[in-house]
Amino acid sequence: MAHAEAIPTPPVWGVMAEFPDITSIYKAAHEVRDAGFTKWDVYSPVPIHGMSEAMGLKLSRITFIIGAGATTGVLGAIALQIGISAYEYQTVVGGKPFAAWEPFTPIIFELGVLLSAFGAVFGMLALNKLPMLYHPLHKKERFLRVSDDRFVLAIEADDPNYDASATGAMLKKLGATHVDVVEA
Amino acid sequence: MHVSPEKVLSKENIYLGDRSGGMLWAALSFVGLALIGVAVIGALAGDVMAKSVALYALHTGALIAMGFSIGAMVFVMLFRAVEAGWSISVRRQFENVMSLWWVGALLIVGVVILQMVLTRTSEGGHDAPYLWKWMNPAYTEGDTIYQAKAAYLSPLFFYIRLVVYFAIWGGLATGLWYYSTQQDLDGDKRHSLHARNLAYVGMVVGAFSLLFASTDLVMSLDYHWFSTMLPVWFFAGCLGSGIALVVLTLIVLRSMGRLHVLFTSEHQHDLSKLVFGFAVCFWAYIAFSQYMLIWYANIPEETAFFDIRKQPGTLWVIISWVLPIAHFILPFIFFLPRPIRRSSAGTAFVCVWLILVHIIDWWWMIRPNIHGSTGMHWIDVVGVAGPVLLFVGLLIRKVASGPLVPLRDPRMYEALEHKNYV
Repeated sequence: MAHAEAIPTPPVWGVMAEFPDITSIYKAAHEVRDAGFTKWDVYSPVPIHGMSEAMGLKLSRITFIIGAGATTGVLGAIALQIGISAYEYQTVVGGKPFAAWEPFTPIIFELGVLLSAFGAVFGMLALNKLPMLYHPLHKKERFLRVSDDRFVLAIEADDPNYDASATGAMLKKLGATHVDVVEA
Repeated sequence: MHVSPEKVLSKENIYLGDRSGGMLWAALSFVGLALIGVAVIGALAGDVMAKSVALYALHTGALIAMGFSIGAMVFVMLFRAVEAGWSISVRRQFENVMSLWWVGALLIVGVVILQMVLTRTSEGGHDAPYLWKWMNPAYTEGDTIYQAKAAYLSPLFFYIRLVVYFAIWGGLATGLWYYSTQQDLDGDKRHSLHARNLAYVGMVVGAFSLLFASTDLVMSLDYHWFSTMLPVWFFAGCLGSGIALVVLTLIVLRSMGRLHVLFTSEHQHDLSKLVFGFAVCFWAYIAFSQYMLIWYANIPEETAFFDIRKQPGTLWVIISWVLPIAHFILPFIFFLPRPIRRSSAGTAFVCVWLILVHIIDWWWMIRPNIHGSTGMHWIDVVGVAGPVLLFVGLLIRKVASGPLVPLRDPRMYEALEHKNYV
């Protein structure tokens, strides 16, 4: 069958395991974490309290992005207003000094908040790699039920601990009702 | 993780024990009373300035003691009104601070009596040592601004209002304390509902009473001046100092091996957010709002307040610059990181710091009203420290006298499982 050999086998993205309930996937997440996997995720129709600890997730780096936004906003607002009011366009308003910190403060606050919010929203999108137009899991019919009543744990083939046969078997042992290899 | 309330509510976890702090509370209360006594003697024996300073200092100390209780009471009512579950295991410490409302009330009554004694024993006239200068007929003679406000600022009406405030605060504190401790005894769920309904009423009545009380007790010290932000400033000080004192109490109790599972770093984290929100950010927000509007409008009858406090060469102008830095910028930066809010030492340090700058803040709010005074008098130190130490001493006794948590709150399990899911 010469023509069959001509079709290249698609590269493997990873393995997806379906769990019937929160308890089983919560326990499985503990095991996967302790087995040293790093590139994996849990998909659930509802938020699961304690899943962050079960997965061993670290605190989000978003705080540093927000902090950078706030600092930029505060320093930018100070420079902007001193530059405009005290140097470039000196205007006497109510007999007040040109470089008075009092009227600057609300602007400093507002710009700090604005850039913090930008940092929060756009930083969140960047860290989540959004917008994401394609994901290999979406090709799986079974994965659609994750928005209804199923819980899925998927381990990527890029993970150093990934093994084509052993990883799937491990997930089966952890209580997965269905284990499937996912193509990229 | 599920924890059984029975194991957590064991005796060694939720009682301080009879001996703990037994000497400490007595010593602190005694020192506090002694300092108050020294201030009073200094006033009786001293000149007119010493008499005025003693009144202002004791008044500041009394208000700070009162503010702890009011702040704690607002939080108790807030937790009750929204039926907060997470805070049930720390609520008793708020209630302990709240239940000492009578300390501040008695001290304020003492200040009123001291003013009567001092003004009757010294010679009268324009400079007589009055705390509430509008009570001095020689001072208000020919003052048209006073005459316009005389109907409200009359001594008898003032004393009646004081009694009404104390009745409202005392009634609310007693009611909230009763429902909580009664539930310890009989475990009846209905006490929670009654406390919630009382909190609904108390929020509204308490807000109005605090508005008028801060006007009478603080703003009327300079009765020419007015600011609609001052009651909010007073409110911010009450909330910030009250919760800082409660968090400090909880951390000390935990360091003594109590409150295992009942006061975890999760509870501390959320309480720290409230400390940060009220004692640091809310204070800065309203203190700045008051200043900026007065600065911008530049109307003489409003600027008088900051004119006194920005006079070069006085202590007031130094404090005017110290406060935004020490009460806002430094704690804001230091208390912003999550690890500090979850560490016992870091949070305890911030709470002590915030209580100290709160004392400076209120002293700066009240004390510059003495005409011709530009700095600190030795009576200021004893007069402010006395009431604060007395309050802390009595608080230690109160904490040691009963269980550290509500014993039979039907929703205690919610507090035991509390977590910050971030």
